[in-house]
Amino acid sequence: MMNSVLKRSVVNGLNLQRGLATATAVAPRLKNFKVYRWSPDEPSKKPYLQTFQVDLNECGPMVLDALLKIKNEQDATLTLRRSCREGICGSCAMNIGGRNTLACLCKIDQNESKDLKVYPLPHMYIVKDLVPDLTNFYQQYKSIQPYLQRKSYPEDGKEILQSVEDRKKLDGLYECILCACCSTSCPSYWWNQEQYLGPAVLLQAYRWLIDSRDQAAQTRKAMLQNTMSLYRCHTIMNCTRTCPKGLNPGLAIAEIKKELATD
Amino acid sequence: MLPRTIFRTSLNRAFHTTSKRSLTIPFLSTLPQKPGGVEGTPNDPFIAPEPHKTHGSYHWDFERFLAVSMIPLVTLPLATGGSVSTVADGLLSTILLGHLYVGFQSCIIDYIPARVYGKNHGRAMFLLSLGSLLSIIGVYKLETEENGTIGVLTSLWKNREDQEQKEKKN
Repeated sequence: MMNSVLKRSVVNGLNLQRGLATATAVAPRLKNFKVYRWSPDEPSKKPYLQTFQVDLNECGPMVLDALLKIKNEQDATLTLRRSCREGICGSCAMNIGGRNTLACLCKIDQNESKDLKVYPLPHMYIVKDLVPDLTNFYQQYKSIQPYLQRKSYPEDGKEILQSVEDRKKLDGLYECILCACCSTSCPSYWWNQEQYLGPAVLLQAYRWLIDSRDQAAQTRKAMLQNTMSLYRCHTIMNCTRTCPKGLNPGLAIAEIKKELATD
Repeated sequence: MLPRTIFRTSLNRAFHTTSKRSLTIPFLSTLPQKPGGVEGTPNDPFIAPEPHKTHGSYHWDFERFLAVSMIPLVTLPLATGGSVSTVADGLLSTILLGHLYVGFQSCIIDYIPARVYGKNHGRAMFLLSLGSLLSIIGVYKLETEENGTIGVLTSLWKNREDQEQKEKKN
């Protein structure tokens, strides 16, 4: 009994010393985070913005750090998708400060006098808080058949080879992580998302269309030959402005249109 | 028993439609939409409409052709100060009309889609086509009886200048 008390006091003492050695008391830098809240458990309650205060001195640099800090310390019911915390999974796509981006790649504005508003991806059906329903988005992705399709295979039974130049064509396309930031920033996708495929899926369509190893280009092109799937793109270019990975879906759509024009 | 079920359904409705934020045109009837905009199970792919090149690439090519041919046709009267032949003027009027038709068609597809508005989509398209046909008659009249589209435009400009000069004199 006495021993444990002694140990504890020693440990506390060490802690104190360490604290004294590092810093004089730092004033907390409290920043307001206004987060969109809606719960399906209370469907009659209107969605609202809840304000959380986070001390920036004790928080990581990214918005995702702040959201997880809120979830850990203030309100465990705050719901959001996240996985890799380094911008490679695309789970934490949300509308931060009016721009669709990944929470894990978005730095917190260190000016604590400014509020930061966090909404889910715009014009989507919301499952809870910051979690949008992406079923339609994934159905559209499935419809473009995102896999290699071949009629013939190399006779030696080995892998299908690709030249360095052909591989270069995929640069700027293969990096897409399907976070849906671009699609949900597109006004045309807001109007007709049930029928227009949207920039993210069309960028993927182009990625499989120009892959030199793929042999189903004709069916891929034929699929887009209608009013809604591709031609609802009016080159508004919100997709390219918002892409957190710095890709250019607008260019990919223009390239598809060019390929179809002479088809 | 009956009133109870009615009460229940109205209660459910009250829960799920607290307010409607989607923008629809108030005086046009709309079709009921699929919940979440989703058809089938989450594992089913989205099924695209039947491929039709006239609605797809041919339509787009036509649209671009109209837009590109507008460039010389508009530059010509600007460069010559309004004195163009009836043929060039007629060509400009017709292609401008086609350009407007395609543009408004695109607006109707975007804002009055058949998916949401059903028959109203077809009605809007009909009105657009009717208006365009009447405009063709108008263009014909402009070319034969008046001084052509450019002629009318230049006269508008000159009249304004004349008025300004008169005001200065007064």
